[in-house]
Amino acid sequence: MTSIIKLHVFSGALDESPPCYLLQVDEFRFLLDCGWSENFDMTMIKELKRYVNQIDAVLLSYPDNIHLGALPYLIGKCGLTCPIYATIPVYKMGQMFMYDLYQSQHNTSDFDLFTLDDVDLAFDKITQLKYSQTVTLKGKGHGLQITPLPAGHMIGGTIWKIVKDGEEEIVYAVDYNHKKERHLNGCSLEMFNRPSLMITDTYNASYTQSRRRLRDEQLMTTILQTMRNDGNVLVAMDTAGRMLELAQLLDQMWRSTESGLSTYSLALLNNVSFNVIEFAKSQVEWMSDKIMRAFEDNRNNPYQFKHLKLCHNLAELSRIPEPKVVLASTPDLQSGYSRDLFIAWCGNSKNSIVLTTRTSPGTLARELIDNPQLRCITIDVQRRVKLEGAELEEYQRKKQDKGLNDSRSKIQQMTIEDESSDESEAEMDVDGLYHLKGKHDLMMKSEGKARTGFFKQAKKAYPMFHFHEEKIRWDEYGEIIKPEDYTIAEIVQPEEEVKKPEKGPEDEKMQEVTDLPTKCVSSTVTLDVNARIQYIDFEGRSDGESMRKILERVKPRQLVLVRGTPAATETLAEFCTSSSLIQGKIFQPKVGDSIDATTESRIFQAKLRDHLVTSLNFSTARDVELAWIDAQLNYIESDEPVDSNTLSEERNKKEKDSELIPTLDCLPSNKVPTHTSVFINEPKLSDFKLVLLQEKIPCVFVAGVLICDNKVAVRRNKAGKIQLEGTLCNEYYRVRDLLYQQYAIV
Amino acid sequence: MAEEARTENVVIPAEEGEQLIIQPLGAGQEVGRSCIMLSFKGKKIMLDCGIHPGMNGYASLPFLDSVDVEEIDLLLVSHFHLDHCGALPFFLEKTKFKGRCFMTHASKAIYRWLLSDYVKVSNISTDDMLYSEADLVNSMDKIETVNFHQETEINGVKFWCYTAGHVLGAAMFMIEIAGVKILYTGDYSRQEDRHLMAAELPNVRPDVVIIESTYGVHIHEKREDREGRFTGLVHDIVNRGGRCLIPVFALGRAQELLLILDEYWSNHPELHDIPIYYASSLAKKCMSVYQTYINAMNDKIKKQITMSNPFVFKHIINLKSMEQFEDIGPSVVLASPGMMQSGLSRELFEAWCTDKRNGCIIAGYCVEGTLAKHILSEPEEIVTMTGQKLQLKCSVDYISFSAHADYQQTSEFLRELKPPHVVLVHGEANEMGRLKAALVREYEDNEEYKMDVHNPRNTVGVELHFRGEKMAKVVGSLAAQKPKDGQQISGILVKRNFNYHVMAPEDLPNYTDLAMSTVTQRLSIAYTGTIPLLQFYLTQLAGDMEHIKVKEKPALRVFKSVTIIFDSTRMVVVEWTSNPVTDMYADAVVTVILRAERDPMPQKAVPRAIRVDKHHFQECMLDMIQEMFGPDATSKLIRGDKMTVTVDDNTAIVDLDTLEVTSASESLQSIVHTAVNRLHQAVTPLKS
Repeated sequence: MTSIIKLHVFSGALDESPPCYLLQVDEFRFLLDCGWSENFDMTMIKELKRYVNQIDAVLLSYPDNIHLGALPYLIGKCGLTCPIYATIPVYKMGQMFMYDLYQSQHNTSDFDLFTLDDVDLAFDKITQLKYSQTVTLKGKGHGLQITPLPAGHMIGGTIWKIVKDGEEEIVYAVDYNHKKERHLNGCSLEMFNRPSLMITDTYNASYTQSRRRLRDEQLMTTILQTMRNDGNVLVAMDTAGRMLELAQLLDQMWRSTESGLSTYSLALLNNVSFNVIEFAKSQVEWMSDKIMRAFEDNRNNPYQFKHLKLCHNLAELSRIPEPKVVLASTPDLQSGYSRDLFIAWCGNSKNSIVLTTRTSPGTLARELIDNPQLRCITIDVQRRVKLEGAELEEYQRKKQDKGLNDSRSKIQQMTIEDESSDESEAEMDVDGLYHLKGKHDLMMKSEGKARTGFFKQAKKAYPMFHFHEEKIRWDEYGEIIKPEDYTIAEIVQPEEEVKKPEKGPEDEKMQEVTDLPTKCVSSTVTLDVNARIQYIDFEGRSDGESMRKILERVKPRQLVLVRGTPAATETLAEFCTSSSLIQGKIFQPKVGDSIDATTESRIFQAKLRDHLVTSLNFSTARDVELAWIDAQLNYIESDEPVDSNTLSEERNKKEKDSELIPTLDCLPSNKVPTHTSVFINEPKLSDFKLVLLQEKIPCVFVAGVLICDNKVAVRRNKAGKIQLEGTLCNEYYRVRDLLYQQYAIV
Repeated sequence: MAEEARTENVVIPAEEGEQLIIQPLGAGQEVGRSCIMLSFKGKKIMLDCGIHPGMNGYASLPFLDSVDVEEIDLLLVSHFHLDHCGALPFFLEKTKFKGRCFMTHASKAIYRWLLSDYVKVSNISTDDMLYSEADLVNSMDKIETVNFHQETEINGVKFWCYTAGHVLGAAMFMIEIAGVKILYTGDYSRQEDRHLMAAELPNVRPDVVIIESTYGVHIHEKREDREGRFTGLVHDIVNRGGRCLIPVFALGRAQELLLILDEYWSNHPELHDIPIYYASSLAKKCMSVYQTYINAMNDKIKKQITMSNPFVFKHIINLKSMEQFEDIGPSVVLASPGMMQSGLSRELFEAWCTDKRNGCIIAGYCVEGTLAKHILSEPEEIVTMTGQKLQLKCSVDYISFSAHADYQQTSEFLRELKPPHVVLVHGEANEMGRLKAALVREYEDNEEYKMDVHNPRNTVGVELHFRGEKMAKVVGSLAAQKPKDGQQISGILVKRNFNYHVMAPEDLPNYTDLAMSTVTQRLSIAYTGTIPLLQFYLTQLAGDMEHIKVKEKPALRVFKSVTIIFDSTRMVVVEWTSNPVTDMYADAVVTVILRAERDPMPQKAVPRAIRVDKHHFQECMLDMIQEMFGPDATSKLIRGDKMTVTVDDNTAIVDLDTLEVTSASESLQSIVHTAVNRLHQAVTPLKS
């Protein structure tokens, strides 16, 4: 019996591109994560597209773009339809990440890779799981079980365990963090013991972190210094992952009276900040033990912020008095408010900019991290402006044309429908689409938001009656809405550079309602970087040292190293080879490679006859009982009467379904072969010393040798085996007896 | 050796027993103090640990003294009601319990405040107090939390929980021990309501279901009808200018009523002037728990949370104390306790019951002997707390919002699960009896499926027998080839938590964290004799001897396992790798060395080693046979390699090469065979 295990790498191997792998276990194919780089690299998608129909399930490990960014595109544009598995926080926060990413892109450019509908569609397909909840796959995946386990790093972060036939264990663990943090527990990798295959990243393999306290202090000092100098601090953060850790840290800092920070402002700025915090509040059971206990004991919810103000756009932010510390997305400074703020603030030497994550090479943030001395940079500035003059006329003319076209095609459609006797599918589709559009975003209907003062004012500033006119275009059958219609309707959303007093982006209607024609312009500007730029690591990943320790503990039989610079991957591979941790192969695939990790899985099941088990002589070692067994395999159906009480129907059925399970039966006593006794579970010499002392045999360690009663020596020889030495005397045999008792001898 | 030991009749260890015992220590044919013991294969599990609300002090505890508390491995608590977790601080802090305790996140958070309230309210003397606030706080450290569906394994007991619907965080536990699955429903409801989901239907079939039977064979009113009747009544009462009192238990169903009222008020703007008060400080404390553990609620709430938290009520005013309450005109008041034994709800009822415009709606399960139960019988008068008599003029209605399963739900639930055994708990004796009868009747004609229904009394155990099938996985090199019929398998059986694996010793480190190891022994013995002398003695013992050199020193190796090194002229070192056989050889060698040391011979006097050859052995054998059977039994000379033995007309032929004996007479054959073999063993030196 062999089970085929193959891994195809789409992205994220021997480099720092986002992880995306296709794992094949027998007939079943898992897509492990589907990240998308900050600049939406299409080459990987092209490759992935060819495999879309083969994918049977998607497993997501973290909610950020790097781990699930391509999901909406795959579902919306490539027709991926398989089930997707993720934990509840990954589902919720992932959605937030995607909304924020879309909105950030959309605010400044004509973003058309996916729409908010695609996001909703994609997340509707997710089966939400809890940690340690085992899902047994059916159909093609018969015999496979998947279990998410805590990974740290981000809320809901997952190490996936895939088990084949209850024996072959595959572990997919990337970006895990074994350390406890403020809001999360560490990962639970140590519970694995010799999985048959482990897929892990080498991102941090040759990276050493300074201690958490030092990093916290560094941030604190930066903030304090800048605040006292009347400057602003921009902290580039992700939307809903690591942000939670930092937000809690900062709010705590602000709360402590000694810090003297409470006079300054603290703000969280991203397109979905309200919802993210609301969700975080309701996910206490996914957070660290400390937070859980605090909540159970005192009902303290750490995300009930005292000082952190939630903002959704720059206008809201501008109302917060300076000097201020702003946590803004995205961490890469490629898009989003962090980029806007960077452009606005980098020129002033009073300001500070804190980068928290090493994003992909090529992004602005990475460039700043890699070249700390950079004083002048040239970047593209994109922004959305209202159409004016000729352009506006052009736009309106086009729109009219389109209206005409639409009505024309509508008539056509109707005639077609008249001809077709049964209900047209096209019509259904349109209906479905409309329906989806209507209910799409959870964040949109946010009433809670209405309570902030800004929001109400914003509402007044822009009444939204334009839209109903548009709606007239819908008749009861619906019309054929060309995709272009949608795109335009969505793009035309004015989100101008500084002056953005319109509704919060949560407002659903905004997407469809606002009909102010805008366009995106792009210009290249050269900026002087005078602000203090600092990289303080808040990535929350295990560093190289710990990764090695964890690997030593886990001892996978085969190892696949992915995602990490070639040098880092080489370091880790070297370490594994030199310490001969891995019995099997160590794979270091590169992007586009397929590797075959198929091993002969030597396993079969057999029933144990009761009289065989009762005849065994068990000895105990730690938590296991061991016995030598000599038995014969029989393929004969058990002749004992099958008691309906004892065998559940399920099991009966299973037996019939699968091939006959052999029975292990006693050998006739004259056929029992002899065997050499096996000593199992070597004791530690120090433990053995305690045993001897208990038996009142005086003993001492002399240069690593345990000397008992000056007559007998117990030592480890060069091969690490225990050696007993002594002269012929009673003590020798007493010590020997005691030593034998430490072993399980079968 | 090892084989011998195995042929002995080994006593089956107690934990291999196949008897599953389910013993209620409370809630057996009664409602209250739920506490059920499970024991199977040496594992002991306790389900819930509540107190009886109708009793005080130690009398309210379950019958904990009928089990050995120290032996309990695991305690699972289904939800936060007092009759399910009320005795927990006592049990965790004041008994010898050493196992682990689990409940869901929401249950634990509410448990803390609910019991703290209970400690404050229970006004019994301090000697009779089961536990103090401090015990409660300490007990929090010992309670671990689980999430729904999360699988946990503790010493071979695997368990996970399903939502039970009854109250926030209520769980049904599925426990699996050695392949036998037991489902404990706790209190459950299969009806989805405003904030909770219906109890889930487990996707695996349990072998035993321990199920509540509170409502026996009753059938509930439809949810819509019930809610309609409730809101209608409240509307009528306030419309006629009356005050509406709804006595409720602080947590659980009250939240459901609040949701209903809040929604009704939102839909009826004309009612906005009429205040709804909710008077419970405990509920206020726990509101944040409700606002946080949204994930344990139904999809409707989960969707709603993205817009606004439904537990942030818009029309409900929290009442801190009676002083704050201005009783002017119509109002709706929800007040605890639910059965109006005392406290605020009693106070308000006494103040309002004389006005016929006012109304009181009883919304939950009432226990016999309480005022709530009494007024349902529509008496003319009631007696106040101070002993005064008051006329009862206000309207009294009963609408059950109790989230326990009714007969219909129980029956359907069991029909889906089809467990072979059902154990009824948490129900008054008569109701339980009726439910049992109804369930038995339901399946009496069914030939394919038989359900055994048990309704044990407290401390009486139900014994079920499961002959667990033991499945072993053969792994590693033993399983390298496809299994064949009749194939022999020899290896190590590893048993951990009821899982069996068979593997070759060499594979042990690959599949377990154990390793095979060896012990080498070096025994030094004073020996002043010569090498040839020892060699002489050893040849008489061992058939195979090699001369080797160890570190430039002469050495002898016998039995292919024991090495004798001549360390110096005064000392030999015997070296071997331990196992029972080599230990025996080594002992023999040691004896020989001691003998040689004691009986030194000069170099020249050492006789030549006796050559034990075939010829010598044959001579010995002839002598022996003649000694045994008389000189005529065999010829004096042996021709070829066969020898014939004739005794009383029976003939046995001995093959001198293989020492096999063939004879028509079985007794002769065995006698000769034994004799020949023993002789051979005695005469020839040992070979390994």
